[in-house]
Amino acid sequence: MRFYTLTTTLAVLSLAFITGCRQTVNTTQRAQSQAAPSYVDDHRIITDRGLGRIIHILSVNETTVSGDLLKIQVRLENTSKKPQTVNYFFEWYDVDGMLVSSASLAWESKRLQGKEVGVITAVARNSRVVDFIVKLQEPKR
Amino acid sequence: MKNSANRIVLVGALIIGTLGFTGCQSTKAKYVESGGTETIVSLNEINIQDWSKAADEMVDSLLTSGVLERAPRVPAVMAISRIINNTQQQVDTDYLTKKIRVELNKSGKVVTTTTVGAGGRAEDQLAKDAAEYDAFMKDKQPASSNMPDYSLSGKLLENRVRAGSTRQVTYTFQLSLTEVATGYAVWEDEKEITKQGKKASVGW
Repeated sequence: MRFYTLTTTLAVLSLAFITGCRQTVNTTQRAQSQAAPSYVDDHRIITDRGLGRIIHILSVNETTVSGDLLKIQVRLENTSKKPQTVNYFFEWYDVDGMLVSSASLAWESKRLQGKEVGVITAVARNSRVVDFIVKLQEPKR
Repeated sequence: MKNSANRIVLVGALIIGTLGFTGCQSTKAKYVESGGTETIVSLNEINIQDWSKAADEMVDSLLTSGVLERAPRVPAVMAISRIINNTQQQVDTDYLTKKIRVELNKSGKVVTTTTVGAGGRAEDQLAKDAAEYDAFMKDKQPASSNMPDYSLSGKLLENRVRAGSTRQVTYTFQLSLTEVATGYAVWEDEKEITKQGKKASVGW
């Protein structure tokens, strides 16, 4: 009897603990999107399978701002039910394939709630920029 | 007897494993990438990666806004006005403004005048004096007296809260780009960087 009560109590507490850690996001949006994004065919290299499983790259699209500067937007999905943070960094390359340096050179971080889809964006600083590499990394534990 | 022997072996293995693991965490000084993920995150000051992040996002916002496409000339001329520090720290706001200036300069959209500054102070007094002397000798208007198209001003704010042993600090970076001819703020943005924890940490 005592064992049964203890087991039931532990099961209830565990369930409460697990469900309490989940913070997923419900969304609503237009059924027929009015946007006409310009998608980029991207080539992905996955070296961290764990990160790749949790944070999915849904799409990459581009636009031009300030007349001639490339802007890139990457849509990411947190496939887990718990909030996740991903660090990211944009590298820019000119028409000759040379890295275009940036004074900031800062990694940034994006927090996604459970099952949330979010975006990371960046604008190239130079009109010679034609290509990019987006780096994603799991935060240090 | 056998159980206590097994226990000793297990404890010994745990101790050796722990020492081995901690031994991998070198305490020797090393170079890390400024603004990279190995930098220290502290709760009592603005870190170098915070300045870079704020500058990056501000420049992105300004370039995306399209304001510079309507500038009277290309590149537009920008002067740096007052950046008020309302935080508890003594900071050099050049950590923010210089990064922004460099990025805008590289974009070819904006150049910064170093001979016109807040309170009439020139950042480069030599350039100003030389321009005025040259204009005097040639009997013309000195270039340094030409009004800039825009001025950049702003404010840094800080907000601290605490819940038990967990501290949270939010640094707010506010910037405005004012069209000098009209006095209108044609671009404004605000970025917040919030850090939370019990103590500073290495890496993030």
